[in-house]
Amino acid sequence: MRNIFFTLCIIFTNLVTTNAQQKQYDVSQISKDILPYASAVVREKEVSIDIKDLNNTLYHIKEVVTILNKNGDVFANISVYHDNTHSIKYIKGATYNSFGIQTGKFSESDFEDINTTDGFSLFEDVKVKHYTPHIVDYPYTIEYEYELRIKGTLEFPDWRPNNGTGIAVEKSSFTFTCKPDFKIRYKEINTPSGVTVQTDKGEKTYTWQVSNLRAIKFEPFSPNDLNYLSIVKIAPQKFIYYDIPGSFNNWDELGKWEYDNLIANRQELSEETRNRMIELTKDITDPKLKAKKIFEYMQAKTHYVSVQVGIGGHQPFLASDVDKLNYGDCKALVNYTQSLLKSVGIESYYCVVEANSVHKISLDNDFATLNQGNHIILCLPFKNDTTWCDCTSQTIPFGYLGSFTDDRTVLACTPQGGKLLHTPKYTTTLNRKANFTISESGDLSGDVNTVYTGTDYFVREAVIAESPVERLKMTQNIYPINNLSIEKLDFKQDKGLQPATTETMKIKAPEFASTDNGKINFSLNPISRIANVPRQVFNRTTNVYINEGFTNEDEYTYTIPAGYHLDNKTFRRTVEKPFGKYIATLRVEGNQLIYNRKLELINGIYPKEIYQDLVDFYQSAADEDSHNVILAKNN
Amino acid sequence: MKKTLLFLLFFVLTAITLKAQDFNYGTFTQEEINMKKYDKDTSAHAVVLDEHGTAKFEETNDNGVKIVYEYHVKIKIFDSKGFAKGNVAILLNNNAEQDETLEAIKGVTTYTDDDGSIKQTELDPAKIYKTKLNKYWTEAKFAMPAIKNGCTIEYTYITYSPFLGRFPKWNFQSDIPKMHSEYDVHQPAYWTYNASLRGPLKLTKDIAEVERSCFNIRGSTCDCSHMDFGMNDIPAFIPEIDMTSPLNFLSSINFQLVQYHNLSTGAVTKYAKEWTDVDYDFKHSDTFGSQLRKKGLFKELIAPLISGKTDSMDKAKAVFEYIQKNIKWNEFYGTGSNDGIRKAVETHSGGCADINLALIAALSEAGINAEAVILSTRDHGFINKLYPVTDDFNYVIAKVDIGGKSYLLDATDPLLPFGILPLRCLNDQGRVMSLDKPSYWIDINTGQKRIRTFTVDLTLMPDGKLKGMFIQYSMGYDAYEKRKEIKRFNSIEEYVESLDERSSKFKFLKPDISNLDSLDEPLVEKYEIEINEYKNPDRDHLTFNQFLFDHVIHNPYKLATRNYPVDKGMPLTERFSLTVHLPDNYVIDSPPQQINISLPDNGGKFETFFQPDGSSFNYSHIIQFNKAIYEPYEYTALKEFFNKIILFEKNQMTLNKKS
Repeated sequence: MRNIFFTLCIIFTNLVTTNAQQKQYDVSQISKDILPYASAVVREKEVSIDIKDLNNTLYHIKEVVTILNKNGDVFANISVYHDNTHSIKYIKGATYNSFGIQTGKFSESDFEDINTTDGFSLFEDVKVKHYTPHIVDYPYTIEYEYELRIKGTLEFPDWRPNNGTGIAVEKSSFTFTCKPDFKIRYKEINTPSGVTVQTDKGEKTYTWQVSNLRAIKFEPFSPNDLNYLSIVKIAPQKFIYYDIPGSFNNWDELGKWEYDNLIANRQELSEETRNRMIELTKDITDPKLKAKKIFEYMQAKTHYVSVQVGIGGHQPFLASDVDKLNYGDCKALVNYTQSLLKSVGIESYYCVVEANSVHKISLDNDFATLNQGNHIILCLPFKNDTTWCDCTSQTIPFGYLGSFTDDRTVLACTPQGGKLLHTPKYTTTLNRKANFTISESGDLSGDVNTVYTGTDYFVREAVIAESPVERLKMTQNIYPINNLSIEKLDFKQDKGLQPATTETMKIKAPEFASTDNGKINFSLNPISRIANVPRQVFNRTTNVYINEGFTNEDEYTYTIPAGYHLDNKTFRRTVEKPFGKYIATLRVEGNQLIYNRKLELINGIYPKEIYQDLVDFYQSAADEDSHNVILAKNN
Repeated sequence: MKKTLLFLLFFVLTAITLKAQDFNYGTFTQEEINMKKYDKDTSAHAVVLDEHGTAKFEETNDNGVKIVYEYHVKIKIFDSKGFAKGNVAILLNNNAEQDETLEAIKGVTTYTDDDGSIKQTELDPAKIYKTKLNKYWTEAKFAMPAIKNGCTIEYTYITYSPFLGRFPKWNFQSDIPKMHSEYDVHQPAYWTYNASLRGPLKLTKDIAEVERSCFNIRGSTCDCSHMDFGMNDIPAFIPEIDMTSPLNFLSSINFQLVQYHNLSTGAVTKYAKEWTDVDYDFKHSDTFGSQLRKKGLFKELIAPLISGKTDSMDKAKAVFEYIQKNIKWNEFYGTGSNDGIRKAVETHSGGCADINLALIAALSEAGINAEAVILSTRDHGFINKLYPVTDDFNYVIAKVDIGGKSYLLDATDPLLPFGILPLRCLNDQGRVMSLDKPSYWIDINTGQKRIRTFTVDLTLMPDGKLKGMFIQYSMGYDAYEKRKEIKRFNSIEEYVESLDERSSKFKFLKPDISNLDSLDEPLVEKYEIEINEYKNPDRDHLTFNQFLFDHVIHNPYKLATRNYPVDKGMPLTERFSLTVHLPDNYVIDSPPQQINISLPDNGGKFETFFQPDGSSFNYSHIIQFNKAIYEPYEYTALKEFFNKIILFEKNQMTLNKKS
């Protein structure tokens, strides 16, 4: 889905360069307190939204930003997005040296106008005017302002004064102006001082502001930014959008509006196609199996191509177009699948979700807006059995979502209105069993068998999609065993209701162990090792977020050469923390060494103070994982 | 209205003449429909069944001339990994005055329908999207309709190009195999081009003939040179790691304009028959020669930089530094300055040609003779050296001779030391384009190296920590890369903090980083270091691995064979020296074996030394890769070399407590 405001922010105040202001831009005026981790400082930013009438909004941005060093040059890049409902009224700006003395000016004619490319869409009907003043003496300051006229009053960008890493904020404000009869709802997140509301000359003005915010530093395992950024969200009650009027106060009403205006009239299919669906499922009685059959038909027929045109990127292609073209984006493919299902009388929901594999982000329960969510999935509300599907993959099992959209609140747009639903949470496991033989010369051979479930079901998907030759090459790069040669490689995928991927390998690794003076030295755990211990974070500011819980269990049996024995001691090591558990054991049975390892992580949000524990936990596990054993010759 | 009609007529004619060579659009055979895989490459997700191109010249409505290039391809798609072939992007070039245009896009997908019947779906012209990428490039994109496993897609289009100097090239090879590929070329005698075949594959069709009276313009007629190049059974190109541009190895036909016979005057303009012709053109070009002469531009800028300096080297460095800091590179490549160096100086922004031509002009203003060197960057491929092909070049740097030594300079990056080139430039040879001498070839890679030296001195403390001193010297290209890494942070404190945060095992204290901004000097990083090595040091045996900081764990070379050279850009030398002081009551039980292995032909070596000294010891090693490029025949040795290093690095020493 497209959102013109992803990177766009907006305002209004006159650009008057008085001496007073110039002095204000003097770099020495910046408080030292906000300089750590900053390569640029927003000196002043004003974002304004001014509702003229239901179909006419003015957006205005004025920003003064000081670039401290070369790393900050990215913040000097000015991008103004526009399309046929967002027209640029003007852009202008100026540059200043470190003393706050003006060194140059620029205007709209300096900007280059190009199409936006998000990297995955074939086309988007959004353009961007962009320009970067090139200043070579640091620090420098740029000042710019622009105004957009927007047809419509539905989508307002969130106000995010300290979005992104590396930039500090001296002062930033947000003003929303409208007639008193234009009702809005707003939500404040982490705003130190709340709203100021004023009514003057028949206009109502809401103002928020922040000051002296330090630059955000990237922290691993940080939660979704709603947890720590300052954000204000605004939603209208009555609006016009692409000339369609509407109103809403909650998800129920927004979902209803979306269904009626964006989806309802997009689901017409030819009689031929409808009959084909009836024919396809005529021998099946269970509605869920019927749905599965149709889903698989859709999967085999279509593929994902993103073309973003029309109503703000919110309206799916016609189902009949997808039927003809065999392609579409998430909206189009869900809408098409719904239409196919409708031909055999199966009810389904078109669901808006925030797809994200790093954070499970739910739609805000008590604050409905159109700009939440970036993906569409399908829900099949069978009695006592709600089934979920992602329609954009050729290989994903029916009824399975994966880590992209699992365990979060989504909006189902139905003829009866919007409903908030929660997608399923998976139990993710990896079970690996290996039988190895170590030869006297240090060569390793054996079988490795691994079963992946839950969100791990997908971990080998890219390998499986390849040809056998390519699969071997890729797998060789996945396993960290030196000199690995894979003699046989097989994958089986159970696409049932608890999807599982099974990988079986027959492997060989010459000179796996080093041999010296009648001793054989090798690493007990050559496969499931902690590859990267998370970095430490001094003075951490955010809580610790573990997105995906899992249980990995490994058992490796080594048959050792005759005449040798284990020179080390057997062991059992355990590390246990509130967020996870690690157990590694080694025991001897006859001429076999049996190594077991279990690593468990529990998802959730933990206080920031435990972060060092998490690092230490990983470090201990990594140390244990690199345990070497020595086999010595019997005397 | 009339214009449209003319245009239509014109297309009909074109279509008829072209059809004589091309395969028929929209047809298919039962064999194609039934094809389940490609027998010659069963791992292919798609295969080109047939591909045909035609390039010829045509008079335009306004008496101009354009190159008309028709492309036509038919691809069989076996599985969903091959669907990407149905997303087509066509790049169109433009400059301020003229642009390439795209016409007559047609596409059809042939597939077996659910009921077993064979159906065809045409591409809807309304679903072809144009995207402006930047001021020089526009992209037309479309997605073929009705794609599914086993379908065949076919599309064709025509581009019209006013850029006669750039005759369309033809790629025989791509990432999927091709059964047949053919390029049909008609070049009127007014224009003469050289054709060159790149890559290891052989043509199966190679026709060159004279075509009588094939081109009419303004009432006159001329003959054409007609060439027909074809290949059958072309394998997919599979890239390998650590290789230079695949363009060097992909089989293709490239053209270079040699001369042009003026249609009205009859005068002959030579483009590239000899280097002397190229030299003349460069010298007289608005975007090159005349830019080099703009030294006056720098009169006032340069004077304060060099005042008081008598040594040429000092002057040259001051000018180099000035250009480095004052014009920011906009990441555009090219051998000519499109908007002129004056604009680059004024706006503090420019492409590599703007920057380095400005550098040369500024050096001349400072009284230092500098020359331009044109080259091809690594990702742009090698240069054809049989005869001049100006389009082979895409970058320009500067060369100065001071004190009998040549220095190659690139001012696009303010962190590059004087005389060090960025990796992207290190690609075989470049051509020196002097304003007063004939041009000549020089080696671009003149002994540039990555050199790093580590000196570590540690003492094992009673609490199990190793404490001591860590010093890293980075020289040559390594220093440049290290500086770039450090400068990603806003301050040294923030860099060291990040170093410290990297692992809870290592603490870096009292940082002392020198020569961060003295680019010509080695970068030296000194830290007091603490390593949490042993949780419980009071044991009878402690194991110790001397590779505390940097382990080679993975052999980068896993495949059994290699087709293309391993190209790392430049040689590398790493020296590591570690001294460890143990408590008096420990002895070293199993010291590491000393090894000394080398690559054939003085290609490199790995040598280790171990020197015990009472309760202390010193371990050191040297790793050298002496070549920038290793040929495929050296691959096995290179792979084994890595294996040996990995095996050695796994070994642990045992430290025993004296009883």
